Amino acid sequence: MMLRKYRFEILAIITVLAFCVLFLYTSSVMRHAEFAGSDDVGSSQISKITGIPEENFHPLIWQWVPPSGEIESALFALQAAVGGIFVGWIFGYWKGLKAREGS
Amino acid sequence: MHIMEGFLPWQWAVFWWLIALPCLALGIYQLKRVLAFDREALPLLGICGGFVFILSSLKLPSVTGSCSHPTGTGLSAIFFGPWITSVIGVIVLMFQALFLAHGGLSTLGANTVSMGIVGPLAGWCIYRGLRDTKVSMFVTVFLACALADLFTYVVTSLELALAYPAQVGGVWSSFAVFMGIFAITQVPLAILESVILVLVFKYIVQLRPGILIRLKVFPETTITAARSDA
Repeated sequence: MMLRKYRFEILAIITVLAFCVLFLYTSSVMRHAEFAGSDDVGSSQISKITGIPEENFHPLIWQWVPPSGEIESALFALQAAVGGIFVGWIFGYWKGLKAREGS
Repeated sequence: MHIMEGFLPWQWAVFWWLIALPCLALGIYQLKRVLAFDREALPLLGICGGFVFILSSLKLPSVTGSCSHPTGTGLSAIFFGPWITSVIGVIVLMFQALFLAHGGLSTLGANTVSMGIVGPLAGWCIYRGLRDTKVSMFVTVFLACALADLFTYVVTSLELALAYPAQVGGVWSSFAVFMGIFAITQVPLAILESVILVLVFKYIVQLRPGILIRLKVFPETTITAARSDA
């Protein structure tokens, strides 16, 4: 009964664990894997196909680039935090509504 | 799935923008209509948008030895359809282009077509195909979310292959190479993302089934049955 009630939670935990195990396995087998972004791998593939070095691709529209990885990760964390605030806020609002309707 | 700024010739950048713009216009129109139709659509939209923000910021390692990120667009595609999803997609992609240098303004059209339009459209098609069959509602949501994620990367591969056909083998051989980089990396991520979104979907069904019934996401009987079951 409990198992059926929480089957999606259990499934989610198992999937996350499987994902972690898969990563540990991949990273131990592929010692040279850099785990770079697939966007960058794609870009270097373009330069391989065209024979034009990556530095020679210039932005068509000027672009601000985060000066360091630290700043970039801060902005990514900000993006996730904004999403998290919205999700938490709305689920909380809905839970409150449900509790009031229930009483 | 971001095509970096400057990595699309301007003709292709313009071409994808021309496809993206009418879809966005339709999305904004539909968005106004659905918000006027039901006040509870707004919080539901917030949940969908919130998850696109969270999931697309998580760059996860994959079996190919590179990292990629989920898209999170599946739920929105199921609830609101691909056009409204394209509006959410362009907002997230714009943030990443302006502040993170992930993708750029000239390639924003192409990136919106892949993450905001064709990916969600693929997810929405499988959802519509399975909605009125005996297939479990949760399996349908899982498949739609996974397909929306995977197809995003298939389209990115196609966009790059069209712009950069290989000298030997042309567009298709180039497409196969980019699929190897983007789509294969994405398979485990798509599964992980979809399992999480199914869980989110279950919570929405439990807390606010009314809005899903009014938007005719699934038949009332299916949603009521799932509630008494969980």
